[in-house]
Formats: sequence, structure tokens, C-alpha cells
Amino acid sequence: MATPAVRMFRRLEGLFCVYKPSGVHWKLVRDSIETNLLKVLNATPSQPLPQEVRFLAQPSTETEAPKGLTLSATSVPVLSKHPLVSGPEFQNIQVGVGHRLDAFSSGVLVLGVGNGNKTLNDLYRTRVTRDYTLEGEFGTATDDFTHTGGVVERSTYEHITQDKLERVLAMLEGANQKALLMYSNVDMRSQEAYEMAVQGLLGPEGKSAPILTGLRCIHFQPPNFILEVQCLNETQKYLRKVVHEIGLELRSTAVCKGIRRTRDGLFTLQDALTRHHWTAADITQAIRQYHSSKKHRKRSQSPAKKPALKTSEDVTATQQNEANEEAAVGKIKKLVAETRS
Amino acid sequence: MAFPFVRLCPRHVSTGLQVCSYATLSKASRPQEKSSAGPVFQYVGQNKKPTPKVFVWGFSFTGALGIPSFVVPDSGRKKPRKYQLTPYRLETAEQISSAACGYGFSLIASSTKDASKLWGMGLNKDSQLGFQRTQHSRHQSYDYVLEPSPVALPLVNPLQTRVLQVACGRAHSLVLTDREGVFSMGNNSYGQCGRRIVEDELMHLLFFSQVACGQDHSLFLTETGKVLACGWGADGQTGLGHHNISSSPVEVGGDLSGVEVQQISTYGDCSLAVSRDGQLFGWGNSEYRQLASVTEATQINSPRHLPLKGCGKVVQAACGGTQVAVLNDKGEVFVWGYGILGKGPNLSESSTPEVIPSTLFGRSQFNPSVAVTRIRCGLSHFAAVTDRGELFVWGKNVRGCLGIGKRDDQYFPWRVTVPGQVVDVACGVDHMVAMAKSLL
Repeated sequence: MATPAVRMFRRLEGLFCVYKPSGVHWKLVRDSIETNLLKVLNATPSQPLPQEVRFLAQPSTETEAPKGLTLSATSVPVLSKHPLVSGPEFQNIQVGVGHRLDAFSSGVLVLGVGNGNKTLNDLYRTRVTRDYTLEGEFGTATDDFTHTGGVVERSTYEHITQDKLERVLAMLEGANQKALLMYSNVDMRSQEAYEMAVQGLLGPEGKSAPILTGLRCIHFQPPNFILEVQCLNETQKYLRKVVHEIGLELRSTAVCKGIRRTRDGLFTLQDALTRHHWTAADITQAIRQYHSSKKHRKRSQSPAKKPALKTSEDVTATQQNEANEEAAVGKIKKLVAETRS
Repeated sequence: MAFPFVRLCPRHVSTGLQVCSYATLSKASRPQEKSSAGPVFQYVGQNKKPTPKVFVWGFSFTGALGIPSFVVPDSGRKKPRKYQLTPYRLETAEQISSAACGYGFSLIASSTKDASKLWGMGLNKDSQLGFQRTQHSRHQSYDYVLEPSPVALPLVNPLQTRVLQVACGRAHSLVLTDREGVFSMGNNSYGQCGRRIVEDELMHLLFFSQVACGQDHSLFLTETGKVLACGWGADGQTGLGHHNISSSPVEVGGDLSGVEVQQISTYGDCSLAVSRDGQLFGWGNSEYRQLASVTEATQINSPRHLPLKGCGKVVQAACGGTQVAVLNDKGEVFVWGYGILGKGPNLSESSTPEVIPSTLFGRSQFNPSVAVTRIRCGLSHFAAVTDRGELFVWGKNVRGCLGIGKRDDQYFPWRVTVPGQVVDVACGVDHMVAMAKSLL
């Protein structure tokens, strides 16, 4: 017997993504979303109190004899289930965060609610790549690789042309492609390794050093430039370090002015909810969209997936079938279920 | 409380505010001092040209790598380095424009007009590096040359001639100059050195554009597209129609008569020629099915046109000991023959061309247009240079000649980490020389 709140919660279970603005810790984003959802969930009209039959002693008058207790059946409301006694139905919701974004970066942040947290786990156990846009500026080097850090060195950058930048990016990409092969656990002397290398399926399983699977310059106007990066197992600090190292390779210095994640797995900027849409209604709609696209993908089984990018759905379909021993992040404390006798 | 404090001594408060920095008054809100005192470093100017570099790797005990400390260590504590498994920088006096690797020796040449323009290192038992006078006696030559030593060419005008190309075979080498023809040195027991072409009047009128050395034979390509051959012919690799030795260069006929050849290639006992309109001709040894598209015999002694289906217009060909590779105008590589061909351990021989997928050469969705520009063959391995300056090698890793950091054979193209952009590469039996330039 599910209360309207529980039914609304069931509709909220799943994955969705938000646009995290820069300058904000990811935990604040997660907390504010949890608060918004809790507000709406606890505002649903509660069910009427159940009644129970109790045998209550009749109020005895003084003239009655002391023995001979007469009990009469009366239907009284169950006070222990009153919201003022038991508290609101939902004290907290398990909202899980996918790949984290540090305070300096902005972009797509995947969140999961309830059962979606299990999917989140599986998603991050597969090899999922992420897309970033890095904005850089030549001429300065700082201690934390951002334009707000303490300046360590300044250098000239007039000699840098787009052609030289492309050469350095090609060299970096070559090194990263080689790293992809080196970190894969396949025996290089087997035919299987050759087949996988042709399709681009070779890569690290699980944890590894950060690898950039794609790197290109989409805008160049000295001293500013914008790079598009596709990477695995990265941290945002590593990406800022990459910008710094590109500056070094070009015999100059560079800092990162902004990092924006444009895609995390299958969630893109288009699906991301901005701050004014962090409400339960928008989130429910986003989760509905996610579920319908999942069904779509399962049905169509499109072969046009990028081979290096394993879709979360394929993996979750296979991995949810096997016993998930790892404790799922979300276990909803449903007071109603617990107190049901 | 703070307000009257401000009014009384504003200066004190302002310094006080600066001393205690709140979290909000961080560096982010303070505008960046762009014009602050501090030097601006200039590491390179605008007209910096890329620095040319030479890298060597492979088996070092023959001295073919040109680094004497690998064979004879500088200090007693160091051990000799037998295999150099990753590219090692070779310091050269001039910019090297052409290099060739033979069987245990290498020749590097620069296109300068200076007196020393050709250096050799490695085995010199057959004088394949010319006469290297010893310190102790004037009439003896060194058997092993451990460092790049100048090779004295008997040029008429040594300060006017440039060396265009060098080629090395098993025990002989050929040097192509721009004004004085071809010079040959080394083992001539099979006539592979030919006569001194410089002195021959007839040959003097021919200008050569390329020379190639097989194991014991030599091929010369003139500017007009004619091929001449001399040397050991038991496998028909001279292509002169017989299986005898030819001691002076004779023009090759067969299917090549009337054809303008743009490139010749040989390293073992099989020879290939690419015509200007993209056709491939082959002759010589076919024991490993290199020429099986036209014949079932094990040798062909006269050039035959090889009909290659699906290869398109052939731009470059490279011949190894048992395998063959061609490059077409789209930058695709086709391999056939016997050995590790580059498509996994299951494909060990093929008599028809097999294409190597370009995803193995770095083609991806971010770079959809990566093409191979140069293909070279060692005795049992391949090397390919792409247009982005990357070097891919595959094949049998004879004594570490692949340069991939391990001694295992490589069954599909693998990137070699060279610090720079690779311009050209020369493959030998157990070592390789790469000419590169720095990124900037």
C-alpha cells in the first residue's frame, strides 16, 4: 500500500543530469537538489489516519461495582502513525553523484535518485568517456594551473601559430593512444588484441592513469585557445595540467581559464537542468526522458554507437542480472514500510 | 563597534583588512596584476626552425648504431648495452638528409657541399664503409667502426657535389651524388658494385635518381625511368633474363621496357618497381609468394607486371626479405608475402594484398584523415611514417630492431615513441635509423 509520497518517489527514481555552475562545490548542488525533492515529497497530502479497533474500558461511574470491567469496542485512530508523531515520511533521500566536478569546473553532473544509484555504480564500472571544453590562455604559468592562481612565470607567446599547436596536440594524442594500448590487459601477441585494436576497443578496465582518447583545438586566437577533449579516468586538475603542459611544449606557458564538461557518458549539455529547473517537476520529467530513451535504445540496439564508448544500458542490463554484492548507495528509509506490521 | 573605529583611523583599518584575508577576498576577486613587476621570459623567437635530429635503435654490438659507449663503456662500472630497445639520439655534425641500414652497418649522409658529407658506422670487414684508416698503420682498415666516421669519396669536385641518397645491402653500399653519378663500395664478389660508373662514358650521360641495394645485387634508377641492375642473379633478382652474375649494370627489360619507373625497392632477393602511372612490377625470388599473383614458380628472372586488385594507384613499394608492402595514393598500406604481416598472428602468409586498417595508424573520429606517407621494409619487419610525423613498426623484433621497448614480436602496427616528428626512417636487419625534427 503505497502512499502518494511513495508513488511520487518511485517516479523520481532514476538518473538525470544537472548543469553545475563553476565556483560551487558539487556537494552543495547535491544537497540543494535533495532539499528541493524532500520539500515536494513531504508536501504531498498524507493519507488519512488508519483506524483500529480497541477494546477500551468504559468510563466507570462511581456507583458501579469494582469488579466486572466492561470493555467496549471503539474505533480509534492510530496515533503512532500521525505525522506529528512519526515525523515526515521522507527524512532524507539518497541522491548519488556520478563523476565529480571540482569547484573550478562547470558542466554536466550526473545525479541518481533511489534505484538510480545502482545504475550509477554500474555506469562508472564500465569504460565511459567524458567530453570537456578547455579554455586556455598563453603567457602565464600559475601554481594551480588556473588563471586565478599565483603567477609563477610569464613568457612570450607570439611565436605560437595554430600549426604548431596542432603538431603538439598530435604528439599528445599519439602518446595517449599508445597509453590506451599499454593499459589494456590483453596479450598483444594474440589475434584478439589485433581485432580489438582495429575496432578501437582496447583500453584500460577499471582504474588507470588518465587517458585522453581525443584532443583537438576548436578555437585559436592568441593568447586564447579552446580545446575539446575526450577522456577516461581523468580529474579536472589533470586536465588543467594538460593545458599547462601544452604551454610548456610550445616553449611558452599556459593557464586554464575554464573547464566545462559537455558530456558524461550518454548525458549531454542538452539534457542538463540549469539552476532554475532544479525542481521536482523538472527532475521527474528528466528522469522520464531517461527511462524512455533507455527503452528506445534497448529496442533499437543501434549499431551506430561509438565503439570505444560502452553505453551504460548494455552494461547495466548484463550487470544487473548478476548479483550485485556491492552495497547500493541508496536504501530508502521508508518509515511506512518499516512500521508496517 | 567597527564603525567608530573606521572613522578614527582609516589607514589602520585598511591595512588590517588586508592582513586578515577572508575567504571571500580571495585571489579570484582581486584583479590579476598583469602589469606587475616580473620578467617575461622568451624561450624561442618567431623564426625558430625545427631542429633536425637522428635516432637509432636496435642491436649495437656491430657498431651500427654509432654510439661507442654501448660497445665500449666509458667507465668500468657501466656494462655494455647490447640492445637499444627505444630510440636513442645520435649526435651528428650536420643535418642528415639520407640514411640507409645494411646488414650490420649504416650510412648517413647530409646534403651539404662541405668536404665531409657521408659517414658510416658498423661492420666494415668488406669495406662497405670505405677505407677507414687505423691509427696504428696506414694500410689497414678498421673492421668495426663504432662512431659515425667520414667516408672519403673520390669526388672530382668534392666541394660542389652533394650526396642525394645512400643505399646499403648485405656487404656493399651505393652512394648517389647529384653531379658525379653513383659510387659503390664493399663486397664485389658477385659484381654487385658494378664498375666505376663515373668513368664509363655511356653511363655518365645517365643521371640517376635512385639507387637500391638488395642482399647481393644492386639496382639503379635513371631520371628517365629506366632500371639497371647488376650483381648476384641466382634468384633472378637482377631481372636480366638469366640466373648468372652480372658484373656491370645492364638495363632491365621484360615488362619494364618502355615503362617509366618512379621508384625501385629491394632488400633481400626480390625486387619491385613502381611506375609513374601507379603500376607495380616485380622480379626475383618468389619462394614466399611475393610474386604469386603472376606465377607459381619460385623465381622470375624478368620483370613482370603484378596486377593488384583493390590497391588503387601504387605510390610506393617496399620489399623485405620474405614480405612486401605497397602504399597507394590514399595512404593505405597493403602487405603480402610470408612472415608477420601486420594483421595479427593468424595471418602469417598471403599471396594477395591485404590492407591494414587505418585505425591502427591513428585514424579516429577526431582525426579522420590520417594517411601513411612512407613505407619501408627491413629484412623481417615493416615501418610506416604517417603525415602527422608518427612512426609505426610491426614485424619480427630481431634483436630489438622495432624500438618499442620490448623484445617481443609485434603483430600489428605499433607506435614508436620518438621525441619529435619523424621525417624518414631506414630499416636494417637488426637496427633502424630515423630522421626526425623537433616539434617546434
